[in-house]
Amino acid sequence: MRKSIIILLTVAALALPIVDATATAATKAKAKKIVVTKRFTGSVASVDRWGSLQVTIVVRKTTTITGTKKKVTRRMTAVTVPVYPNHTDRSVFINQNALPTLKAEALKAQSANINMVSGATDTSNGFEQSLQSAIVKALRA
Amino acid sequence: MTVAAPTSLPGVRRVEHIMGLPVVVDVRDDCVGDVLDQLFDWLRWVDATFSTFKDDSEISRINRGELRREDAHPHVRQVLDRCEQLRDETDGYFDMRTPDGSIDPSGLVKGWAVDRAAAIFDDAGLHNYAVSAGGDMRVRGRAVPELAWRVGIQHPQDRQQVAAVIESTTDLAIATSGAYARGEHVWNPHSGRPPVGILSVTIVGAELATADVYATAAFAMGAELAPHWTARLHGYEAMTILADETVFKTGGFPDE
Repeated sequence: MRKSIIILLTVAALALPIVDATATAATKAKAKKIVVTKRFTGSVASVDRWGSLQVTIVVRKTTTITGTKKKVTRRMTAVTVPVYPNHTDRSVFINQNALPTLKAEALKAQSANINMVSGATDTSNGFEQSLQSAIVKALRA
Repeated sequence: MTVAAPTSLPGVRRVEHIMGLPVVVDVRDDCVGDVLDQLFDWLRWVDATFSTFKDDSEISRINRGELRREDAHPHVRQVLDRCEQLRDETDGYFDMRTPDGSIDPSGLVKGWAVDRAAAIFDDAGLHNYAVSAGGDMRVRGRAVPELAWRVGIQHPQDRQQVAAVIESTTDLAIATSGAYARGEHVWNPHSGRPPVGILSVTIVGAELATADVYATAAFAMGAELAPHWTARLHGYEAMTILADETVFKTGGFPDE
């Protein structure tokens, strides 16, 4: 698990670390912003006997430095589902219905500020499981 | 997968797949991994002992006639006894006996296992945590010192919404039963058919074992009976969502 994270980070770190250094140097020490966008992949969650599901999120981390004060904000900008169960007709049917809205829900849930969701067991829990592990990784970065 | 606490969020979080379910543990106190290991070891023991999918579990051995019920582990006897009490309490709508004559206490085991997992945390001096097994959970204390735990109740028709939000700062079990997820996996044992006109039942109270069984039983009762039956429960509050989008809440249902 740890190994795969490290590999992912090295790949993702190439993405876009935008450092606004030259501008701040020219205009004296005002607020300095560092924006890093990284991709985090959750664990592969099994969904009952239907197969596996995996969630990848893209997180934009903004570090604002004003003098000695440092403020970090993280924003989830994309959710993708690279691995999902589709080995039977039933799974395909369920996922066509379930996954598009679930993606929307994941993005919405962060603004609703909900810690947990109570509901019947299904793909959304596999989704939630993989999503949670991806979020936990993002918070460490 | 244990993760060190990030600066913005206290405690540790861990997710594992046990008992055929994703188990999400979110501790907001400072704690060491040992307590989490203890909790997940306990859940794995429960799975090995109670699973009807494992040939060498005590339940499978009882069902094959290889183990007498009175010789089973004390926890097994305790669970089976409670299943029988709950069959009476739910007018037979919760029944561990399957149509083929074997027993399947799974409907109680999950909640019971999480209740005892919460006790492990309590004994370790933890006061702020959530333990969720497949969407049924125990929450205790607060998410962070200034904020309560906020638990959304899945809207059964619109996956982008929650039907209610419960804020909890005490010790609470929350269980939801519905047919929207795995197809019609809850049946009315009296009619032999899936329940009619009902989308989901959420029960909150002290024990997850009881809340979960009540939710399953009330859901199996269907639209006619569930709102009335849940209104009579002692110490447990309910929210029932019917197919026509009527929502019944008992007087003390703690949503905001």
